[in-house]
Amino acid sequence: TIGLQVSSGLQDLSLRDRGGRRRDFHDLGVNTRQAMVHVQESKTGFSGRMLKLTTNHFRLTSRPQWALYQYHVGYSPEMEARRLRSALLFQHEDAIGKTHAFDGTILFLPKKLESKVTELFSRTRNGEDVKITVTLTNELPPTSPTCLQFYNIIFRRLLKMLNLQQIGRNYYNPSDPISIPNHRLMVWLGFTSSILQYEENIMLCADVSHKVLRGETVLDTMHSLHSQVGEERFRDACAKELIGLIVLTKYNNRTYRIDDIDWDNNPKGTFRKSDGSEMSFVEYYKKQYNIEINDSMQPVLISQMKRRGNVQGSVALIPELCFLTGLTDKMRSDFNMMKDLAIHTRLPPEQRQRELGRLLTYIQKDDNVQKELRNWGLSFDYKSVSFTGRVVQGEKIFQSGTMFDYNPQFADWTKETRGVPLIRAVPVDSWLLIYSRRNYDVANTLLQSLFKVTPSMGIRMSKPNMIEVDDRTETYLRVLQQRVTPDTNIVVCILSSSRKDKYDAIKKYLCTECPIPSQCVLARTLSKPQTIMTVATKIALQMNCKMGGELWSVEIPLKQVMIVGIDCYHDTVSGKRSIAGFVASLNQTVTRWFSRCVVQSRGQELVDGIKVCLQTALRNWSKWNKCLPSRIFVYRDGVGDGQLNTLVNYEVPQFLDCLKSIGTDYSPRLTVIVVKKRVGARFFAEIGGGLRNPPPGTVVDTVVTRPEWYDFFIVSQTVKNGCVAPTHYNVVYDTSQLKPDHVQRLTYKLCHMYYNWSGIIRVPAPCQYAHKLAFLVGQSIHREPNLMLSDRLYYL
Amino acid sequence: MDKNFQEEFTQIIKFEPPLYKQRYQFVKDLVEKYKPKKVADLGCADCSLLWMLKFCSCIEVLAGLDICANIMKEKMHTLSPLPVDYLQPSERSLTVTLHHGSVAHKDPCMLGFDLVTCIELIEHLEESELKKFPEVVFGFMAPRIVVISTPNSEFNPLLPRVKLYRHPDHKFEWSQAQFQSWALETARCYDYSVEFTGVGDPPTGMEKVGFCTQIGVFVRKYPQTGESVQSEKPTEAVYKTVFKAVYPSLKDEKYLQNAVIREVIFTAQIIKHRLMSKREEYSDDPERKSKSQPSMYCFSDDLGKLVVEKNMEPFVSGNEVYVPLATIFSFPKVNRLC
Repeated sequence: TIGLQVSSGLQDLSLRDRGGRRRDFHDLGVNTRQAMVHVQESKTGFSGRMLKLTTNHFRLTSRPQWALYQYHVGYSPEMEARRLRSALLFQHEDAIGKTHAFDGTILFLPKKLESKVTELFSRTRNGEDVKITVTLTNELPPTSPTCLQFYNIIFRRLLKMLNLQQIGRNYYNPSDPISIPNHRLMVWLGFTSSILQYEENIMLCADVSHKVLRGETVLDTMHSLHSQVGEERFRDACAKELIGLIVLTKYNNRTYRIDDIDWDNNPKGTFRKSDGSEMSFVEYYKKQYNIEINDSMQPVLISQMKRRGNVQGSVALIPELCFLTGLTDKMRSDFNMMKDLAIHTRLPPEQRQRELGRLLTYIQKDDNVQKELRNWGLSFDYKSVSFTGRVVQGEKIFQSGTMFDYNPQFADWTKETRGVPLIRAVPVDSWLLIYSRRNYDVANTLLQSLFKVTPSMGIRMSKPNMIEVDDRTETYLRVLQQRVTPDTNIVVCILSSSRKDKYDAIKKYLCTECPIPSQCVLARTLSKPQTIMTVATKIALQMNCKMGGELWSVEIPLKQVMIVGIDCYHDTVSGKRSIAGFVASLNQTVTRWFSRCVVQSRGQELVDGIKVCLQTALRNWSKWNKCLPSRIFVYRDGVGDGQLNTLVNYEVPQFLDCLKSIGTDYSPRLTVIVVKKRVGARFFAEIGGGLRNPPPGTVVDTVVTRPEWYDFFIVSQTVKNGCVAPTHYNVVYDTSQLKPDHVQRLTYKLCHMYYNWSGIIRVPAPCQYAHKLAFLVGQSIHREPNLMLSDRLYYL
Repeated sequence: MDKNFQEEFTQIIKFEPPLYKQRYQFVKDLVEKYKPKKVADLGCADCSLLWMLKFCSCIEVLAGLDICANIMKEKMHTLSPLPVDYLQPSERSLTVTLHHGSVAHKDPCMLGFDLVTCIELIEHLEESELKKFPEVVFGFMAPRIVVISTPNSEFNPLLPRVKLYRHPDHKFEWSQAQFQSWALETARCYDYSVEFTGVGDPPTGMEKVGFCTQIGVFVRKYPQTGESVQSEKPTEAVYKTVFKAVYPSLKDEKYLQNAVIREVIFTAQIIKHRLMSKREEYSDDPERKSKSQPSMYCFSDDLGKLVVEKNMEPFVSGNEVYVPLATIFSFPKVNRLC
């Protein structure tokens, strides 16, 4: 159909603009609301108090009767090269005008040409006469999906005109970097932007973005790794540290992902050029870019070129010529580094809006940009949109018959519930405490503290089997094999360093071969006397959860409901397997959770495994409740930009299939909600003339939501510094017949139920549990854990 | 010439590397030889020669001039600094400017250049423009070296598909004799010497035809014109600047300071890290101990090459690490910067 051709043409246009994959990042054209009758009229909630909010959205305005004219451009004789096609067409700027967007086939103009078909004549360099036929194919109204894609392309053009540098999907300002010399980091300030059709208007959603760049080459990083880990573990360390990272090169404006390191190659090695001749890297870089490669012993990095998801060959890169961008996991876990970074990247609301204002001022002040906008007949509202949101009432926390109020501003009830009996405390009658010799004191301190804090929680704790080991992975494993019995409730290990291999080995053994809950503690966290009681309390709570205990609950008004959470972990280093974590509630109070996970094997879709998970979850639910649930809520996290269509068209039908397979007379009400943490929208409460983060429980379901979706935002957590990020919820399937207000409230309630944090978190607890599970399996276990553990939160 | 023989050739002649690349390589070689600091490309079109030249480390000023602004704009962003140029500012300074204008007009922005290239330019000039061209380039700009390339019409019969001229926009194509007499006359008139060469070798046995592209390299015979002389040529600016990029450079105080601070603090951090971990070593993880063997892998480790004299050893006192300034300056990277 014509519609399809149009959009594929536009994607070409955006590809030329260098954006990488041909994917619709904004999930345009996935219209899920139309199938849900009960939210046709309204999808807004009503409870809570009103709060005035502003946001980072700016209205796009066009002159009245604005339209975009789409033309097809044909050549006779046929011209292949896109550049030639452009050059031939642009010889006729007097006819088509100076303002145009052309991808080689489709031409967009801001005004209509005199006749429907225009014939133009050009001559090529070779003196060949070419007839160009420009035919009007479409008059696009401002809200058409093609127009929206077009706006985004034009906006990126503007950013380029402002001399911003494109890295990945966003644009950054290179001329005013923030330098953090302690860590050899540089931070560039930039902007993310997208223009979309929102509830009533087309708006630009712009946000401040920071790009972390490293003032060192990949070779520098290899050097420092070499001096850190030594010869033996050098290659492994490089692979771990570097694979998956994005690099910039010294000679072109492209980014590459490191997919592999070729240790058998070096810059003296040769490669085959496109014309078939062989050339060494040293020679090539000298000839092409006048770059001398100094270290001829360095290995070669391999980056795969992907197009439409398929590998299309690979590119070799020289470490010395590549600069790292972004942060590694290791850097992320470096507390000091993150603290130093946060000073620059965590902007408080006022400052964030000020930086954004600067971008808009650039746009407003730049003559060329304004000219381009004028030529297309477009302009922006330079003041951000404001509207009212709602703050829903705080949830009460119940623990063993007692109800707690806490300050809703802080979204935390650690203090209030300290020393109060748990809903279900599991006795610890038989347990192991394993430590190395140098941690003997630490182990005793932990033990004494645990004995002090557990009685008031109602946890009965016996003396453990204290086992001293030498600090080696094999010894730990041997001790586990010899000393764990079927009666063992839990194993606690005190580890000296955060070395992953030891942790992985312990977890792998105790999650698969010998299914016993385990708790690993770093000796360092126990070394501060002033915090030991707090730490011991947290450890006691966590141990209790891992053994099947329950801590607190909130009021869940729905009966016979099963809540499901799904999240994915994508392994970027080894084998590139994906893992889906799946959890489902087991009881009325949603305090107990069943879990499984799917380790994707080659050529298998994750969704097949998820179906099996749902079946076993239903079986378990019915075992616990003596009936099947009449309502099922699925909170689906881990859906990437542009994957919504797949989810709606493949995954949801699979859920329905699965329910059908349970029994012909079984038809529960199903609600599927896509949860998205990474969204561009930010909300600011206008309080006392300044901008603040909105309080927890802020719900937004107007103005900045999408008309074709049943969606809303909730700000559930608080942040100490920077701007709070709202979570986006998109109800893609719903036969619950519940009012939007109730779905919003249920979602917010579930954000209170994550037992590893006595406070409100960013996503519903099942999503966070599923994330924890998938992460543990993906990082440490690499296969499905033993099902014996499936009714406990062993993965916390 | 035997007609059949000639036709056979029209089938075969194909240059490897392509002729345009050979012309660019010729300019690049010339730059390598004379190391000019300021280079201007007249008729720079889509800027591909300028893009190649920006990698030549001797060049500090690059300018392009073309009569068509659109073709320059098409790929001018390739002349902008790359993110890495900001991350690791280079030693040299580099400014790239594109001007929209005609080689028949004088503009003071074209003064003071060491090398001016006119690759496949003159054959596009109308007669009136060609007449003014020598005065503008040799008389007014008066660079040390001028390179002019143009098609050799004697070669045309060997090229397939060429009817009258090689490009419809060509106003003329000269034989070797025509080009050489024009060049010699121009050189004589403006006190330059000229040497003739070319790229695109003729087929064996037909050497008389000459190169496919004929090139004249003009070298000024009189010494550098001083600033004072140039200021005697007051001319109003007539070109329009369409693009200007100033590359980050260590010659700029701002970038130099940042670079020095970055290196000093980072290296001091490493020293601190080493000293601190040395203190803790005895209590360290036993699995790690055996790993501190001498390295087999021979990376040229910059820090490893540190020559630190005994009397300026950094030391730890409490929670602070003292690093003598002399040590700081002995870091190769810092040393190179200061």
